[in-house]
Amino acid sequence: MARLEIEGLCKGWDFPVIDRMDLTVEEGEFFVVVGPSGIGKTTLLRLIAGLESPNEGRIILGGNDISRLPPYKRPVAMTFESYALYPHLSVFENIASPLRARRLPKAEIEQRVKDVARLLKIDQLLTRRPAEVSGGQKQRTALGRTLVAEPEVFLLDEPISHLDAKIRHELRAQFHTLEALRRVANVYVTHDYAEALSLGDRIGVMGRGGLVQIGSAHEVFEKPQTLFVAEHLGQPSINVLDCELTARDGVLHARHRESLLTVPVAQAHVQRLNGGNADRVSYGIRPQHIAVVADGEVVRDGLHVIDSTVTLFEPLGTYAILITETAGATITALSSPEHRYTQGESIRLGIDTAEAFFFDAVNGKNLVL
Amino acid sequence: MRDRHYKLVATLMFVFLGLWTIISLFPYYFQFITSFKGIEEVNRITPTFWPDEFLWSNLDLVFSDETNVAALLDTLLIASANTALAVFLGSLAGYALARFPRQAGGENMAFWILSNRMFPPVAILLPMFRAFDTVLGSTDNHLSLIILYLVFNMPLATWLMMVFFRDAPRELEEAAYLDGYSPLRAFFKVTLPQVVPGMMSVALLCWIFAWNEYLFANMLVGSNVAVNTIQMPGFVQGAQKLWNLAALFSLVAVLPPVVLFMVLRRYMVRGLSLGVVKG
Repeated sequence: MARLEIEGLCKGWDFPVIDRMDLTVEEGEFFVVVGPSGIGKTTLLRLIAGLESPNEGRIILGGNDISRLPPYKRPVAMTFESYALYPHLSVFENIASPLRARRLPKAEIEQRVKDVARLLKIDQLLTRRPAEVSGGQKQRTALGRTLVAEPEVFLLDEPISHLDAKIRHELRAQFHTLEALRRVANVYVTHDYAEALSLGDRIGVMGRGGLVQIGSAHEVFEKPQTLFVAEHLGQPSINVLDCELTARDGVLHARHRESLLTVPVAQAHVQRLNGGNADRVSYGIRPQHIAVVADGEVVRDGLHVIDSTVTLFEPLGTYAILITETAGATITALSSPEHRYTQGESIRLGIDTAEAFFFDAVNGKNLVL
Repeated sequence: MRDRHYKLVATLMFVFLGLWTIISLFPYYFQFITSFKGIEEVNRITPTFWPDEFLWSNLDLVFSDETNVAALLDTLLIASANTALAVFLGSLAGYALARFPRQAGGENMAFWILSNRMFPPVAILLPMFRAFDTVLGSTDNHLSLIILYLVFNMPLATWLMMVFFRDAPRELEEAAYLDGYSPLRAFFKVTLPQVVPGMMSVALLCWIFAWNEYLFANMLVGSNVAVNTIQMPGFVQGAQKLWNLAALFSLVAVLPPVVLFMVLRRYMVRGLSLGVVKG
């Protein structure tokens, strides 16, 4: 009923921001758009909300074309990145605002605002002004204002990006459990890939011009269609090496063009790569697939071991980031924080070659998908 | 040592500020006591700094003359009506310039409006008289001054309101649209409340200008309608120079702006600093 369809949407100013975008978000679906800042994620939301008008294309909600409707006539609610709470009104009045707009009876407004406030655990704050509540409470108020409206589409613009980690986690859990979100189409925008992977039923990775890849968290993370997607998801981000494919002793190798690093290509990938005729590729390997190999440790099959030198060790509690110089190339690996490496220390790194990605050096397409 | 130094500076400061206060307030004091002196005492060659006797009956003398009361009421009407119009129209124009600069003519239009305050008013005195006389038939009425003062107050109101509206975040208005408010309702629900402090200070500035204006009032009105500034000289233009009554009348005329300023001071400071800090 409240399925959101976007057809051939175009919007640009001096340059195209969104170029012929097609997207369908089902009722009850939580669709997360992730992408670097300034790529047009907020513009997409503003187009759906009606705050911007598209140059081309249609936005259809529950079968009705709403492209030409002004924002106040669209059954759409949106939270703003800045929260956009009305500073001169109390938390109660902020939440009640969409109901007042419809001139509902007083008693009903009071009831609905209180229900939403209780759900979001801000019922103690209703008489305060936005300036007198904390960041997380502001966010909940903004969320309350959108929930109370009972729209057909929820647009959420970086709703939890500016909160501290603990509250962020708490609110993230809340998005998973809010029943109201399961009855409408949700479009959630974030630049944080972890948020996207955690929340999205489906995830759209946004690049120049629109969505580059759409899929489940597993799909976009494990099977990135392009280098852009692989680079954008994951922290620390994927190692990318500009490589040439060459045969050595009858085995296909990827040789880094700027250093002496050479890594054998796993058997599973060889066939796919031979099918194509690319001999220049971007070799991608995520830091979690590179591990330190201790002296005397038995090296399992498929692990390619190379000597390297530590340039930076960054322990982060549950894991540590290890930046190394490996045969002249800079390689980022993950390690356990328990062993503290020192700068200049010699270690051995094991690269899990089966986990590598090969992207076309020109157009960035994943060659081993 | 440091302490003594500090004390010396503080003492000097208080002495200086004290003297300054006395110098600034002395004219008001003298006006006040003059208001309640007898005319003989006013004209005495050696001035007295405390009246022989407070003649409260001077109040009667001033207010029993209907033209004096009428002048105060006329000025009140003209200043208030003009302020209301200037703030209302200035808000609309300021909002348009702030939110739709391209359609409203942009920076050039905004500056042109402000530039209307830049010529010496006396330059348009006679043309304005001719224009009002031709269009309205007579200039000796409330309407002529209410409209004429817009020439001076509208640019000020428009420019300042534009600055205040620019500072009011657009996102709040957009949030109101999404809540379901039409642009007009969103304006009253969200945007207007944010500029109220600024609006108050604009209103005060406009009102004081209209209350104090002399040049145009002297040219345009005088018989049917009189304002404070042209009523005042009347006390000393006749055969008898009633300086005490002139002082009393102007004392009364000074009170409303002072009271208004004290009431609105809170807004005034906030309003004027809005544009400064954020602009």
